[in-house]
This record gives sequence, structure tokens and C-alpha cells, in this order.
Amino acid sequence: MNSGERVTFTKSLMLLPMLIILAMFFISVFTLFSSAFVDRGGFSLKYFQQIIDRPDYHVVFYRTVLSSITVAILAVLFSYPIALLLWRANKWRNLLLIVVLVPWLVSLVVRTYGWIVLLGPKGFINAFLGWLGVVDEPVKLMFNDTGIIIGLTHVLVPFAVISILSSLLSIEENLEEASRVLGASGFQTFRNIVLPLSLPGVFTALMVLYLASVGAIVTPLLLGGITEKFVGSQIYQEVMATYNMSKAAAWSICLLSLSFVSLVIIKLIERRALRGQE
Amino acid sequence: MTTTLNQSVSDVQNVTGSIDIASVSKSYGDTEVLSNVNLNIPAGNFLTLLGPSGCGKTTLLRLIAGFIEPSKGKIAIDGRDMNGVPTQKRPIGMVFQNLALFPHFSVAENVAYGLKLRKTPAAEMQQRVDRFIDLVGLSGMGDRRIAQLSGGQKQRVALARSLVLEPSILLLDEPLSALDMQLRKQLQIALKDIQQKLKTTFVFVTHDQEEATMISDTVVVMSNGHVQQVGAPQDIYASPETLFVSKFIGELNEIPARVTDTGPHLSIDTAAGQFTLPASAARGFAPRTGDAAVICLRPEQLKVLPTGANVAGQTMLDARVVSRLVIGPLTRVSLRVGETDMIAVMMTDADTAPLPSGSACKVSFNPDHARLFAPLSDDMASAFGEHA
Repeated sequence: MNSGERVTFTKSLMLLPMLIILAMFFISVFTLFSSAFVDRGGFSLKYFQQIIDRPDYHVVFYRTVLSSITVAILAVLFSYPIALLLWRANKWRNLLLIVVLVPWLVSLVVRTYGWIVLLGPKGFINAFLGWLGVVDEPVKLMFNDTGIIIGLTHVLVPFAVISILSSLLSIEENLEEASRVLGASGFQTFRNIVLPLSLPGVFTALMVLYLASVGAIVTPLLLGGITEKFVGSQIYQEVMATYNMSKAAAWSICLLSLSFVSLVIIKLIERRALRGQE
Repeated sequence: MTTTLNQSVSDVQNVTGSIDIASVSKSYGDTEVLSNVNLNIPAGNFLTLLGPSGCGKTTLLRLIAGFIEPSKGKIAIDGRDMNGVPTQKRPIGMVFQNLALFPHFSVAENVAYGLKLRKTPAAEMQQRVDRFIDLVGLSGMGDRRIAQLSGGQKQRVALARSLVLEPSILLLDEPLSALDMQLRKQLQIALKDIQQKLKTTFVFVTHDQEEATMISDTVVVMSNGHVQQVGAPQDIYASPETLFVSKFIGELNEIPARVTDTGPHLSIDTAAGQFTLPASAARGFAPRTGDAAVICLRPEQLKVLPTGANVAGQTMLDARVVSRLVIGPLTRVSLRVGETDMIAVMMTDADTAPLPSGSACKVSFNPDHARLFAPLSDDMASAFGEHA
């Protein structure tokens, strides 16, 4: 062994921060599992049974999954044209990218309060619709799934823009020109060349957005109200309101499993869609 | 294979594919990258746009392709004005420097792309795709993915993808520049061969003068957005019209000189001595007494002789042998003539005295072979920074 490869004490010291993080991670997962599966010193599925026995809890799961799918698809649909615009705007790309990312400088809670101002029964949108005479009484845009979906989509669009843009930027230059020279119109070039080659970014976006949405807490809490809960806001409530740590842990494990299963499904769909693409 | 080839030849044997470029200029802001280019490219010609990087050759190619529009002037294909005609409506194919193959398609799908856009019936499409995959020497590789191909194979796919549409004009933007020497030579021959079979007009862009002279019918030498000279490769080599062209095509000896007298003969003063040249030696400028100039001689126009020699009608200069290099039948002699380094190339079996390195000698040339040019302007000289 040459001296360059020798692991010295000082070098191994650099690993320490990582080891501490790893240790924290395993301790917290261990705590999570032990509080979810242990009751009065013995193994128990009691807390999971409590969740399974409540039909209103099932609704929370359905809502979380369906809303998250909607959020992921909506955010990608909004983001694609934005990413396309940024891709085309060679000179202005960085400036425009900053504009897209500026919302990140504002805290999530503040942004969500912004939506309350807009969406509430006496909010800006309802006031405007009432002034136009389009509606007689306020449209319910908040404290329901619509509010959650609007809020989450808004929060997640920048992630999707970045993901799709990076995939567009990795398209080799001249491919569009090559397509044009071979007789394709601008739209045909987009459909046959640009869109298929940007799909990896679209799928990454769908996956990241879905997972972020499934685990969301603040937005469903503020825009969904007491009744329309997400799994995340349910866990928050178990911890902060009812102090039922074991049930919260059981919820968390359900959420973790849900995310994992969803991940596998999205990956399978992606593989099918991108078959033949390296 | 032969019959299918003949079919494809008969399909396209026509006289389309001529390009007329009339007073074309292209500017970006204040920078003029092409100025007043006039060029007539006959149908079926293998034409090369040759020049150092930044000379405007790629810009001219992109103007023909329609990716950009000229700021002034007009480009016509087969007599039809192309201003405002979008790329996809022009009768052209193009092979890009980076090839621009579609990575999500197989070889056959890449080749079939243009045919699909033209809604070619499936059976005919299959047949034409196969025929052109054969033509470029990739038989049986239709199902390969682009990532699985070597550099040379990718070149061939790019070529087949354009040629399968049987365009009357094929534009090639330095398509061989990324390949190693040997593969490059092979593909140059393949390109020439395919061009002669299909009679397609090829407009080929390169900065490699050897490549240009080897494969083209016509060479267009460009620099700084101007066309310097148009002609057959051998004519450009034999009678270059400017110092730039002389330097760019082939090897060259340059002797800095000053004109001391004009008349039927030009009196020339150089660091190596004084002599006269015929007035016809001056190219592209009218020398006046006192003008600085450059005398140009090809290495094969110089003879190395012993010090005592004198040949009637030849200009003789005192020189010193720096080194000799025998390359098979040819001998390259490096010489110091006055303050100038020169190269002479002669047959190895020439009955010149064996001149050892360091010995004094005479170098002679026929004054009718010498050419006299005005010195290069600074911006032209800078073009040789990377190609000298």
C-alpha cells in the first residue's frame, strides 16, 4: 500500500460530520418504527389498525394521492412552455430563470398566505368575479381540494421548470436545424425531436413534484383547512394537537410506503415511455 | 446493389441543383461577416468553400440552407429566388459538423425521417432506406442505435439521411473535421465517389486545403468575408491571384522585397541580392518604385546548385544549405537565402552535387515562375496565426 492511500486519523476525522448525519437518520427511523410498532413493550399493529378502521382516514389517502397526481400534471403543463421559453431565450435565459426562482426567496408560509388573500371568500378573485357580476355568491376556492391544488402547483412550478429546462439544454445543437432541412415544419420538429428528447426531464419533474406534493404539510394545512386534510397535515395534527406520537409514526410509515410504491409505478411508466431512448 | 444504384442514378439524372449567389452580404450589427459575394455554382459540381475559421464560409452555407437570410443580395436555386423561402421548402440536404443525428431514433429511423415527413408509402420508404443504407456502406446496421456507432459510421448515417431524399444540392459543413487522418481519407474518397454516382451538387465547407484540393471540382478560397479566388484546384495552385491564396493553398517560399524600378522589367531589391522580374510577375497590384512587395515561389520551382554554377536565363541567388531530408523519391532542402528561410523540393535522383548541411550553394529559379504580390494586410495575416 502506498502512503497516498493510507487512511490517516486526520483524514478519517473528515468523515465525522457524515457519520453524525447518518447516525441521526438511523436513530430517527428506528424511533419512528419502534413507536409505530410497539405498544406497552410488545410488538403491535394497534396504531395501523386504528388508521385502517377509519373510512374518513381512507379519504385522506385518496385525496393526497389524487390531488398530488393533479398537482404534478398541472405543474408540468404550466412549466413546459416556461421551460421552452427559457431554452429559446439564449441571451436572457439567466435573467428569466431568476424571475422564475424569485418566489423561493419568500417563505412558503408567506406565499401561502398570499393565496389566502387571493382565494378567500372575500378575497381578490371572488371580489373581482362579484364585481363582474359573473357569480352571485363567492366561489369556494379555499378550504377544499381546489385551494390545495392551486397552492401546491404554484409552489412546485419552479422545480418542474428547472428539471424540464435541463433536459432541453442537453439536446444536441443543430438537431432542430437538421429536422428542418429534412423537411419538417417548426411544429413537426417540436413533436418529433424536441418533445421526445425532453421527456426524461418531464418524468423527473412528475416524480419530484408528486413526491413533494404527497409529503406537503404547510400548504394543505393553510389552504385545506381543518376538514380537508392531506396525510402530511394529518401527521402534523397528530403530533401538534393530539400528541399521539405512535399514531403519527404509523401515519408516517404509511406515507413512506405510499411514496415508495408510487415511485416504482412512475419509474415503470417512464421506462415504457422512454423505451429506445438512452 | 449495382442495379439499385443505377436506379437511384437514373432517378436524379437531371440538371437541377445550380446555385446563383448575387451580391450577397451578411451583417450582424456593425460586423460584416460576408461582403458582396458573387458565385455561380453549376449543377452537379463538387464545390468547396475553403478558408480559415471566421472567413464566412459557414455563414454562406447557412444562407444557402435558409437558416439565416442575407442582409443584401439574392440567392437563387435553379433560377428561383430563395429569399423568404423557409429551409424545409428548399431542395437541399445538409450534413452538419456535429452530424446532428437524432439520438432517440435507430439508424433506419434517422434515414427514414425525411421520407416519413413526405408521407412516402411504407413499402417504397423501406426500399429507399435500405438502398441508401447500402449506398453508404452500412448494410445490415439499420436497427443499431446511434450511440452504438463509431465516428465514421455516424458520418455515413448523416450522409444517407440527407441523400435518401435525393436533394439536388447537398451542403456539408466540415463533416470530416472530427475524424482521425486515416478515416478522413477513406471518407473523402467515399464522398467523391457518391457525388459522382448521384450527380448531386455538393457544397463542402472546410479549412483544410489538402482536403479541398483532393475532392473538389471547384475551390472557392475565402477570407474575411470576401471571395478571394474561384477555380479548379490545380489552377488555383498554379496561378493564385493573391498572396493570401498562394499562402493558403500549398507550400510557399516568400521573399520580402522592394521595387526599385518599373518598366518592361521590374527591378527588385531583396536581402539576398538584386535582380529583375518580368512585369507580368506582379499580380493584383501595379507596382510603383519604392513599393514593398513579396516574391512567391513554390518549393518545386527552386533548384539547388553548387556555388560555381551559372545557368543562362535563370535568376541565381547565394544561399546556404541548412538541412536535407530525403523522403523516398523527393528531397527537401532547407535553405537560408539572405535573411529568409526557404524550402526547395526536388527529385532525389537529380544529378545535383551532394551538398552537405552548412555548405554554401546557389539557388536558382526561372524569373517567369516568380510572382510578386503586395504584402498582406494585418487582418489577413492574422488568419494565418492558426494555419501557417
